Amino acid sequence: MDLILQAAIIGILTGGVYALMASGLTLTFGVMEIINIGQGALVILGAYLIYVLEQKLHLDLFVGLLITMPLMFGFGLLIEWAFVRPLKRDRIMLSILVTFGVALVIEGLLGLIFTTDLVRLQAWYTTASFQVAGFYLSYIYVFGFLLSVVLLAALYFLIYRTKFGASLRALMENRTAAQLIGIPVERVSAITFGIGVALTAAGGMAFGATNSFNPGSSYDLISRLLVIIVLGGMGSLGGALIASVLMLVIEDVTAVIWSPIWSTTVFFIVLVIVLLVRPQGLFGQVAGRKQ
Amino acid sequence: MSRPKGSQLWGALCALGTCTVILATLAACGTSGGSTTSSGPIKIGFTVSLTGDFSDDGKAVEQGYQLWADTINAHGGLLGRQVSLDILDDASNPDQVTTDYQKLITVDKVDLLFGPFSTLLTKPASVVAHRYGYALPEGSGGGPSVFTAGLNNVFDVSLPVASNLVSFAQYILALPAAQRPQTAAYATEDDPFTQPQVDLAKQMLEQGGVKTAYYNVYPAETTDFAPIAQAVIHSGAQVTIFGTLLPDITAFIQAFKQQHYNPQGLIATAGPDQGTQFLNNIGGAQSAEGIFVPNGWYAELNAPGNADMVAAYVAKYGGTPDDISSDVAEAYSVGQVVQQAVTQNKSLDNAKLIQTLHSGTFTSVQGDVKFDSTGQNTAATAYLFQWQSGKLIPVFPASAATAQPEYPKPNWP
Amino acid sequence: MKSKPIWLLALLAAAVALPLVFPNPTITTIAVLTVIFAAAATAWNIFAGYTGYIALGHAAFFGTGAYSLAIICQHWHVPADFTPFALLPLCGVIAAVVSLPLGLVALRTRGHTFIVITIAMFFVAQLLAYDLRGVTHGSAGLSLPIPLWSGDFYNMPFYYAGLLILLLALAVSWWIRNSKYGLGLLAIRDDEDRALGLGVKTGPSKLLAFVISAFFVGMLGALWAYYIESIFPPFAFDALFDVAIALMTFMGGIGTLVGPILGALLLEPAQQLFAVYFGQSGWYLVLYGALLLVVILLLPEGIVPTIRKRWAQWTAARARSSPNSPAPAPPLPPSPTSQHPAIAARGEGGER
Repeated sequence: MDLILQAAIIGILTGGVYALMASGLTLTFGVMEIINIGQGALVILGAYLIYVLEQKLHLDLFVGLLITMPLMFGFGLLIEWAFVRPLKRDRIMLSILVTFGVALVIEGLLGLIFTTDLVRLQAWYTTASFQVAGFYLSYIYVFGFLLSVVLLAALYFLIYRTKFGASLRALMENRTAAQLIGIPVERVSAITFGIGVALTAAGGMAFGATNSFNPGSSYDLISRLLVIIVLGGMGSLGGALIASVLMLVIEDVTAVIWSPIWSTTVFFIVLVIVLLVRPQGLFGQVAGRKQ
Repeated sequence: MSRPKGSQLWGALCALGTCTVILATLAACGTSGGSTTSSGPIKIGFTVSLTGDFSDDGKAVEQGYQLWADTINAHGGLLGRQVSLDILDDASNPDQVTTDYQKLITVDKVDLLFGPFSTLLTKPASVVAHRYGYALPEGSGGGPSVFTAGLNNVFDVSLPVASNLVSFAQYILALPAAQRPQTAAYATEDDPFTQPQVDLAKQMLEQGGVKTAYYNVYPAETTDFAPIAQAVIHSGAQVTIFGTLLPDITAFIQAFKQQHYNPQGLIATAGPDQGTQFLNNIGGAQSAEGIFVPNGWYAELNAPGNADMVAAYVAKYGGTPDDISSDVAEAYSVGQVVQQAVTQNKSLDNAKLIQTLHSGTFTSVQGDVKFDSTGQNTAATAYLFQWQSGKLIPVFPASAATAQPEYPKPNWP
Repeated sequence: MKSKPIWLLALLAAAVALPLVFPNPTITTIAVLTVIFAAAATAWNIFAGYTGYIALGHAAFFGTGAYSLAIICQHWHVPADFTPFALLPLCGVIAAVVSLPLGLVALRTRGHTFIVITIAMFFVAQLLAYDLRGVTHGSAGLSLPIPLWSGDFYNMPFYYAGLLILLLALAVSWWIRNSKYGLGLLAIRDDEDRALGLGVKTGPSKLLAFVISAFFVGMLGALWAYYIESIFPPFAFDALFDVAIALMTFMGGIGTLVGPILGALLLEPAQQLFAVYFGQSGWYLVLYGALLLVVILLLPEGIVPTIRKRWAQWTAARARSSPNSPAPAPPLPPSPTSQHPAIAARGEGGER
């Protein structure tokens, strides 16, 4: 019983970090109707940027985010401008292809710069731990979870309490109508993409502090992120959060009470059942005949 | 009306055009490739995984082959000729391995082949090599399935994978009854390299009376190790045996440190043998204290050529002898064994090479090498290593030990 | 109108003659892998291209075919000669049978939900290959009989078997494209609810296309397994296979007849050659990724539709400039062509 509780707690905390990585993906889908397959590679890029700051400038991992998040925001604007904006039709399909290309280039360049040695982010809180519920919990899990909560709350505020957020939501509702009432669609899209990539940088830091990584580590990530945002309902931030937590809890609990081999299988079966009952995902909006 | 016709026409034209361009390129490459001659440098071809899943080991394999080539060239070459290496990237992919070895054999016309990294890639490579009668000596493709295909041209110069943990099991069972652990926990990646080792160790320890408190296999793609670590801790096992590579063992060590769980003994099939990379990933030498790893090689091993190789490594790539991954030694051994067989044959003929490799006894930086009929090395010894004061030290068997094993393992820093 | 068969024949002749003109086994190795991918992309296009449902789980059928052949060969002690080739259709049938229930479940959903369900099914299939040790030997993999053909001859049977499957898939694709059944599929792609309203039996139609594509992909998986001689779960069930055939199809032009083949002809050799020539220096992934980006940005609709459009514009311009020419072809409305391929298809069908 203890074990299940412990697995559930770990699941919730790591779920928060996955939510951070998935939120960028679901946001860009909701606003721009594109799927960014490069998200996994961007997570790894974010982790490497922090790694450089830690190694060269001895910056704290969380302080490093103050530098890498704006940097990645700018990088996001660049990707959007160069590769996503030119796509005029079949946006979903073509965006998958374009961002796959971007991901390959990022992986290739990271390999050239950092070689393929595995690295890991280090700080006092990646090893130190405190006791709770009969077991020890590492600070990094808690800090990572808190970081997700803070950033997702900030994102929520941005979307629901600001003028920019109003434009963004208008775009989510109906792109054409938003354009008609004078919302600068391209600018809002670009900024949204930038925000998505910046959030990814934060997720990358948390990933790199709990896992060893090298430039090829993105492959295991992207499929899970995709599955999370579909389970949550594409475009729904709350859905992404709940789906991440749900996925990690199901997997972690299955791993301890049954076998790690079956944990992913169980999750996928849950996913298929949910989608058969609710094709739009847990919190997605019904997209009507457009599909 | 003209549109559909045009489209078909253009489709066909375009396909032909693409075909021609690709083939022209290829043909150009094909004709420019070298040919086997009896003068000039000896060409030896192999692939390494520079991109994709196995890329973390690719570099070390390449370094090992390169060091051997440097050494032999500095000593007058092989059969009096210089050795040049022909290295391709296999992208950790079996299709690419097949194409690459075809190219090495038929376009580059290499004289000899060395193997790639990992059991999964060695198998397709061995089939291609077999088709052309090439020997495929290799040092890091030791999964049992490589040797069950009935090919006569694969030779693994390293310790057969399944025997890796045998020395550890023997050591544990040889402990005085008061010290001997009662329970053991096993967790292994679902991988042809790691799992057979763990299963054999489990079988031996169970026969010796050590109860299994936890046994589990987890998928190779796992990224969250915390729950598995949690289950191992929960089992309260006195020794923990892991079938891991570097990323997963660092995750387990991290989790154990956080949980203040300190087993009496901790061993991992691979990962702790990666020198500085391992230490960097777990947060320094103090955390490594007392951790075991099985291996067929270590920097101070008194084996032919080992001191030279270590010196050459440090001179060329920097660092200390402890930084050297055993992948380097495995690759280097391949070169040594081939060198002895070729010198004995006085010829580069692959059919003769296969025959000689099957019949002879050889030496390498990993110790003696003698192949059985499937190509596994029966003469290799499994050494048990332990991290002590920031160095990886052989502790078992006693004949090779340079220090007493630390048991039980000291607490985490 | 007469020129078309000539070109197709020329193309066919070139494909047949290829290994005879360029017998170097390195070239034929790349050619074998390329025809396998070209046929897989063509088969995938029969389902995804015509119905508009993007399935990213066909690697499950590729792996099913591969494992079927390996297990059959082991149990029946199939000799290492041409016999396994005769077993390919059986492996295709097994894959098709497996695809039936999967398609039945997955096709209850649409759009991106469908995409993700197919991805999930692929993962479940791969996990089963790992976990059902009794039949698959788990991560240790399975070996196939190894034919003792010489290196120079070895690739030939595989190349021609692959080419034969490619031609079959192409013929089926062509037939569907020009049949009433195919029109129904295209109507589903444009607007499924309307198609249903117009009397298209959308459910069975989609499922049939799904099963047909699974059949071909299963045969190709078996062929690939015999070619590589050993299979392991991560290679037989490879997520990158799904991405690769989708990329090839999109790049060549999804929903077109020859588009997927063109995409495969471009991408597969490019990937192999880039890895061979730029892998050692570390630039392979960068260059390959850059190639993808350039082609997509320059030809966002795919090679075939873009060229088709250019050709139409060119002929129209030429018709306008020469007053003698009778009834100039009307300039194409650019965007509807690609957005409503059913219209384009009807035009093409009408011509025959």
